[in-house]
Amino acid sequence: MIKVSINGEIKELEENLNIKEMIEALEYKQKGFAVAVNTTFVSIKAYEETIINDGDTIDILAPVQGG
Amino acid sequence: MNNDTWEIGGKTLKSRMLIGSALYPSPANMEEAIKESEAQIVTVALRRQSAGDGGGNNFWNIIKELNIHVLPNTAGCHSAKEAITTAQMAREVFDTNWIKLEVIGDQYNLQPDPFETVKAAEILIKDGFEVFPYTTDDLVVAKRLADVGCKILMPWGSPIGSGQGLMNPSNLKAIRKQFPDLKLIVDAGIGKPSDAVEAMQLGYDGILLNSAIALAQNPIKMAQAFKYATISGRLGYEAGTMQEREFASPSTPTIGTPFWHQFK
Repeated sequence: MIKVSINGEIKELEENLNIKEMIEALEYKQKGFAVAVNTTFVSIKAYEETIINDGDTIDILAPVQGG
Repeated sequence: MNNDTWEIGGKTLKSRMLIGSALYPSPANMEEAIKESEAQIVTVALRRQSAGDGGGNNFWNIIKELNIHVLPNTAGCHSAKEAITTAQMAREVFDTNWIKLEVIGDQYNLQPDPFETVKAAEILIKDGFEVFPYTTDDLVVAKRLADVGCKILMPWGSPIGSGQGLMNPSNLKAIRKQFPDLKLIVDAGIGKPSDAVEAMQLGYDGILLNSAIALAQNPIKMAQAFKYATISGRLGYEAGTMQEREFASPSTPTIGTPFWHQFK
């Protein structure tokens, strides 16, 4: 298992998961969202080729109200 | 009847008001206020949502059903790097190359950081974004933003959410004069409909506001008030205001004035 920060919370994930697999493992219910790993944007096209590593900081952002 | 149209970011619009989607008493109130404003651009944001939540879906569904243009912001970012990443994420989620670029430099008055804003704007424009930069009313910063390719500038009227109106109309006027071909929008600080009139009378192409409507006692009615204020200010600018005079000048003809109205 590896430890990562997801939206500010420390979570344990299996090793060698890519972003697509991570989203499935998290059972993420938000319909529209985007992902950044270590503050760098990762597009949907790159989900399967981007492997999550121990200590990564992951942000999953979704639409909210804004001014 | 208002037949005014204008262009911004490649779109032709009728409304010159850009409205925010935050701080309303309820989602239903937000929806109704946006509809009543007849705004065609609504600002939105991105934030962390917990995995099993899905709470943002409701908000996003309401916005999508309004069928108006969405302008995502980079609110809360404190560096060019953070703003660029947020903009790239917003482009994917909201399917638009528009971005309201906000890079905050001071937490007390939420004043934009001009150095990081210019740096981010340059990179984002090269990456194909239409940048709507939130800036102060500083003419030199406006010049730098124009230099890196911004076609739109959004100087503040006063600090975000303060409702203080236009702190420095002279500076806003100078920016308008210096950049006749750029789209200029007063963003932030508008509190009253009369502030919107004043901004539009300066020749600004539009206004962007949120708190003034959402925090009004009656947001739906205030949305209507701002709709008319924006139109009124624009018409006033186009009509051209009269020259101010030092002294009074009667408007009723003086010829034929009866003797008992004459001053001695």
